[in-house]
Amino acid sequence: MLILASWETAYRVIGWKLWVFPAPSHVVDSLLEMVGVHTAFGEPLHTGWPRPLPEDRAANAARPQVEPWYGTPLVKAISYSGVRLVAGFAISVALGGTIGLLMWRFDAVDKMLGPLFLGLQTLPSVCWVPLAVLCFGINEKGILFVLIMGSFSAISLVLRDGLRTIPPLYPRAGLMLGARGWKLYWYVLLPASLPALAGSLRTGFSFAWRSLMGAELIFMVEKWRGLGYLLQMGREFSDIARVVAVMIVMVVIGMLADRWVFAIVQRRVQERFGLGT
Amino acid sequence: MRAPATPILTKSAPEPPAPRAERPVAIPTWARPAPGTTTGRGQLVLSGISKSFGGTSARALRDVSITCAPGEFVVVVGPSGCGKSTLLNVAAGMITPDSGTVTLDGQTADGPGPDRAMVFQDHGLFPWLTAAQNIEFGLKMAGVPRSEREGRVEDALRLVHLVPKRDKLIHELSGGMKQRVSIARALVMNPAVLLMDEPFAALDAQTRTLLHEQLQELWCQTHKTILFVTHSVGEAVRLADRIIVLHAHPGRIRREVQVSLPHPRNFDSSDINQLVKLVRKEIEDEVNRVNAEMAETYWKPQSPADLGADSGLMGDGI
Ligand SMILES: Nc1ncnc2c1ncn2[C@@H]1O[C@H](COP(=O)(O)OP(=O)(O)O)[C@@H](O)[C@H]1O
Ligand SMILES: [Mg+2]
Repeated sequence: MLILASWETAYRVIGWKLWVFPAPSHVVDSLLEMVGVHTAFGEPLHTGWPRPLPEDRAANAARPQVEPWYGTPLVKAISYSGVRLVAGFAISVALGGTIGLLMWRFDAVDKMLGPLFLGLQTLPSVCWVPLAVLCFGINEKGILFVLIMGSFSAISLVLRDGLRTIPPLYPRAGLMLGARGWKLYWYVLLPASLPALAGSLRTGFSFAWRSLMGAELIFMVEKWRGLGYLLQMGREFSDIARVVAVMIVMVVIGMLADRWVFAIVQRRVQERFGLGT
Repeated sequence: MRAPATPILTKSAPEPPAPRAERPVAIPTWARPAPGTTTGRGQLVLSGISKSFGGTSARALRDVSITCAPGEFVVVVGPSGCGKSTLLNVAAGMITPDSGTVTLDGQTADGPGPDRAMVFQDHGLFPWLTAAQNIEFGLKMAGVPRSEREGRVEDALRLVHLVPKRDKLIHELSGGMKQRVSIARALVMNPAVLLMDEPFAALDAQTRTLLHEQLQELWCQTHKTILFVTHSVGEAVRLADRIIVLHAHPGRIRREVQVSLPHPRNFDSSDINQLVKLVRKEIEDEVNRVNAEMAETYWKPQSPADLGADSGLMGDGI
């Protein structure tokens, strides 16, 4: 808070240039503009180039809001990115989960894929973009491809490591009670691996989110304008306040999903198992 | 060397049973022995079991044979690491022995199954299920219809005096309660034999005594064949019809002791204490003898002459 305040003050007193780096007030303006609310907190600072011009801002601020909130660019972008994320993440979990299971069950698979996946994990997901462009073209498939490639190996590895921590006593007890074949997997190993699974989903999500943002940034699919698209548009119009505003939205969404969804799921599971405190 | 089973102490007149806190529980019909028989099924025969982990040098068991008559309570006593858990896991079908066979009521038993239900030392209950759901698990796997399951789970909870804890998660139960749930989970399957691997080793003395009483009561009523392993002679004498003394490196049977005290037993009686002393003495003698043997072969003190030579060399360099 203090940093933000002194940052804003510095702007007003020293008169830094807007196009070098935005003041918090500009970012707030831009953020609200993207949801259809036109404000002009950063008004006195707008001097000359670049867009938007002070008159536009003032005019916008005076104009009554016309767009419904759900039709605004930011809300649309979030929902488009959200749909992509859910679809891609689901595929990624299915694929990564299956491979993780195979790696845990069969040493040969693990020996073959383990080192490879460790290597893949260190590869920034954006590096998949050229391949995706060549294989799929600039379209939804390409974005999903990058998302999946960027996250499934992490899911596999975390799941495998988690499965390895299942006490061997559980499958033994299950066998003793007559859980054989698929029943052993479904009724014993699956629930026993829930803590591992929760951790794997959490890691996988953060990988998937980062990959998606990177992919959207570069792919620029016109029809469905995701958050990455907004960010790239900000760059192309040299609207630095917009760029920072979108970045803040990305961080907040990633954080909320991690803290409010995955962390809570993980904690519930751990409480049920009597792990932790 | 295997000594023949020798009745060390026999008593004809039954000891008056100890006053017990819990009222005796009615045994549900599904757990009663088959009509017309007193002992029911449950003849467990282990013959010539040998097992080694990683080469013949690390032999856990050598040529162990045990026959449990239907309805018999057999306790295997031995020090830690003598292969008790290995033996029980072989009986349960969790471990395939290098040689030897396990038969149950004349049929070769291979692979684990609910006919030989096991109570693990670390209970092995599923933490994601409640106490009642843990007990229900085996019935569910066996495809018993839900309506019947509920009744049997209720019966089993009553047998181990845990009806009020039915909806508790496992980590919310005390150590003693966990073992009782574990016993109920095994009993509800109406197994032919009950295999128990030091089930009370981690409990405090009071809880253990309470569970000994409850187990004895359960056994008197259900007449299950029980193969129980422990390192505690006191526990063995309290519970067993027959005690088998196992020795380590490799695990093999050294002695069998028939305990002819009638059930239910008063654990404070002088007979029990006397028998405990006797068996303990025998085991101690044996352990001492084995230790002495091991010392001969594995560890020899250096002769003073060698030591002298060593110290002389060490001085030279300085
Ligand atoms: N899975 C295993 N791998 C290697 N050695 C084992 C294994 N299980 C048991 N052993 C060895 O076999 C011997 C008997 O073990 P165990 O049956 O657990 O003894 P107890 O239950 O009497 O304490 C021990 O020396 C132990 O180290
Ligand atoms: Mg053991």
